[in-house]
Amino acid sequence: MSDDKTTIKHFCHKPGQLVTLDPAKFLPLPPPFDKPELEPKMKPLSDEGRKKYECDLDSIITVKFPRPETEEEKRELVEKFLSGLKKLFEKENNWTFLQPLFLTMEFCAKCQTCSDACPVYNESGKVDIYRPTYRSDILRRLYKTYVKKGGKFFAKISGDNIEATWTMVARLMELSYRCTICRRCAQTCPIGADNGLVTRELRKIFSQEMGINLDPLHKKGSVVQLAVGSSTGMNPAAYLDNIEFLEEEVEERTDMKFKWPMDKAGAEILLIHNAGEFLAWPENPEAFAIIFEAAGIDYTLSSELVGYDSVNYGVWYDDVQFAKVALKHAEAAKKLGVKKIVLAECGHAHKALTVIADRVLAGEYNIPRESSMTLLREIVMSGRLKLDASRNDDITTTMHDPCNMVRLMGIVQPQRDVLKAVSNNFREMTPHGVYNYCCGGGSGFAITQDANFPDWRQNVSGRAKMRQILNVFQDIIGPEHKKYVCAPCSNCKGALRDMFASYGLFEKCNVLYGGLVELVVNAMTEIDKPFIEWEWH
Amino acid sequence: MGGFTVLQLLFYLSLLVFVIAMIMKALKISNMPLHLRWDLYPIPHEKGKAKYGGSYFEETDWWIKPKEISIANEIKEMGKEIIFVHSLMQNNRPLWVFSFPFHFGMYLLIGFVVMLALGAILEISGTTVSAASASGLVVIVHYLTVVLGIAGWILASFGALGLLLSRMFNGDLRKVSVRADYFNLVLLLAIFAIGLVSCFAFDTPNADLRGFVGSLISFEPAGVLPIATAIQLWLMAILLVYLPFTHMAHFLGKYFTYHKVRWEDAANLRGNKIEAAVKEGLDYQINWSASHIKSGGTWAEAATEESSKDE
Ligand code: SF4
Ligand code: SF4
Repeated sequence: MSDDKTTIKHFCHKPGQLVTLDPAKFLPLPPPFDKPELEPKMKPLSDEGRKKYECDLDSIITVKFPRPETEEEKRELVEKFLSGLKKLFEKENNWTFLQPLFLTMEFCAKCQTCSDACPVYNESGKVDIYRPTYRSDILRRLYKTYVKKGGKFFAKISGDNIEATWTMVARLMELSYRCTICRRCAQTCPIGADNGLVTRELRKIFSQEMGINLDPLHKKGSVVQLAVGSSTGMNPAAYLDNIEFLEEEVEERTDMKFKWPMDKAGAEILLIHNAGEFLAWPENPEAFAIIFEAAGIDYTLSSELVGYDSVNYGVWYDDVQFAKVALKHAEAAKKLGVKKIVLAECGHAHKALTVIADRVLAGEYNIPRESSMTLLREIVMSGRLKLDASRNDDITTTMHDPCNMVRLMGIVQPQRDVLKAVSNNFREMTPHGVYNYCCGGGSGFAITQDANFPDWRQNVSGRAKMRQILNVFQDIIGPEHKKYVCAPCSNCKGALRDMFASYGLFEKCNVLYGGLVELVVNAMTEIDKPFIEWEWH
Repeated sequence: MGGFTVLQLLFYLSLLVFVIAMIMKALKISNMPLHLRWDLYPIPHEKGKAKYGGSYFEETDWWIKPKEISIANEIKEMGKEIIFVHSLMQNNRPLWVFSFPFHFGMYLLIGFVVMLALGAILEISGTTVSAASASGLVVIVHYLTVVLGIAGWILASFGALGLLLSRMFNGDLRKVSVRADYFNLVLLLAIFAIGLVSCFAFDTPNADLRGFVGSLISFEPAGVLPIATAIQLWLMAILLVYLPFTHMAHFLGKYFTYHKVRWEDAANLRGNKIEAAVKEGLDYQINWSASHIKSGGTWAEAATEESSKDE
């Protein structure tokens, strides 16, 4: 598409679909997906969907916002948006992120260094609206025009003015869901501006002021979690049933019979899983239970509302929902009187509760939180488990770095030390560690399955990760070699699951994804049968 | 007072505006409430871990272990960034080719102004600054002024011209640029280019500028200046007034983006300053309008509201 059709003026005023994606322009993938016809297809949006929902950005839908029918409705929506915009720059309403937002608004030098770092922008073949600064530029103009004193006058002189129209607001609403908030862009910015932050702040205007957000994050996400106990919809009774079932399954798989500690007051550790694991990847919490039991760790699980589901989707769209969930996590720990909370394999839960909630939890709610990666390293290095790495010798492994845990928290080495202790055939992707690429499912994308959005995720936001995986295994890409992408994060696993399925990666190349603890248990000599069931995926 | 030139008065005024506006901006930013953590790794003060981007979260029981901080490494990273614009060198070499001389040239020019001021003070006290002076110190001031001036004008002019041309002819930059972006670079280029040309066109370019600086220091009327130098000084006065209100003040902004956001990893421990700031934040009134937010009360109340009736 030509750039001159996606200027900010077009964005604000041009009716109809602004951008048509052209898969032929997406960056090519390595073999065996080096022919475009082997890639998953991008399904067009149905005529009905197009008519019903706002989709004039790129014809991809996440928000599913019904088109307003009258001019009056549109005007009201724009006014609401502008009222949210103003609140974003108020100390009381946005003390949580005012300073970093202000810095990004004021000091970006428009050097475009960040563009090269963005997987979404580059993999899409440089679709201009996906450029990291595109949405920031719009927000900056809105800030200069509608928030700053004398804005309309000065912005006009400098050329930074913008007119808030419903066309613009509706497109911006969708555009705020075309960024994974991986913050690779921010890492390369010489000024320290942060376009990932801008994405989240935009989502906050829509959610906190206008009540517009993604159903999987809000209505079926944090709201269900706070009301029922888990965003999966699993209430405490169903959760306890589930645990009983998993205890039996562990016995079947390993001949180890033991009760999982539940609501044990005074335990040293409260272990919290992403509850999605119990349903989608039960082998992961099972492996944790096996390791902790074998290592004699004094821990407990909780059956308290929210205390058994570490997810906190607010971290992607809403500060208030974020704070509500974080407080519930802390409350569960406080009730049990544990010394610390340990987060199992979930990246965003790590960052949400350990880092971001660090400035929400005060006094008795400020219970120390730590990563399971460090605890696992301690367990593995202490020799408390009998491990034989050669039991994993038929598998070549690589490590996917979840952005939230790695680039945004600095937990890089412990998971590698553990993996190297149980895998003799480990290789690193390029780039890795804090310079990794997102799985494509960041910022809530992994759980967003509406309309044609999964096609976009598979083809665009996950593409850089797909390339990395194909490249790291390129010399053994044939199905005769077993390959394992170790992703210690439920969200990343969800994204990889869908991406692998859409490309047929397991069938064509024998690449499996999974967590870290499964590989550890697979290497435990006291368990006879292999723990990783390769054919079941 | 009656003998002051308009330019002199303007310069006093613009210097005043510059200083006050920069101080106010710095105060505005630093008085903003403590934000939620938004770290970005690598963080250079993480001793032994910075080279691969690790943090204290890699330790079990990190909150009771002494935090291992390397100030030296942080200073080294800052030095690389300030002197060499290192992140641009790593991530955007085509622009760095101009940005580095542009910034480095300006550092040299700051040194040049310091030398002019030093020379002016010497002259006010009766010592003529020239290569022929009997005092070694005066000779050093003379030559440093000459060298810093010429090198500074050359590098800064080259950089500003390169940045301006990049913005005009590089499609990626052109499409994000507005009038003000071109104006900033044209203004800077004009100031630098006049300085550069003056070095070769005038007999005593530095003496003229030194005389003007001296008049500002001594509150004495300035002498007559060559027209080009007068224009240059007018433009500088405009720049001083204008700069604090633009992204060109990023030399200030960068302190905050790096030290108060990216590298800000101080933990909230019971009873420390952060905990007090968090409590203050939770006490702010919240006024968002979405129905899932209990507005009108404090953040603490909104965050602890029973949630079953949420939409
Ligand atoms: S965000 Fe940073 S890297 Fe991107 S254009 Fe602005 S200053 Fe340059
Ligand atoms: S946060 Fe990631 S996806 Fe979003 S603009 Fe930056 S690099 Fe691109």
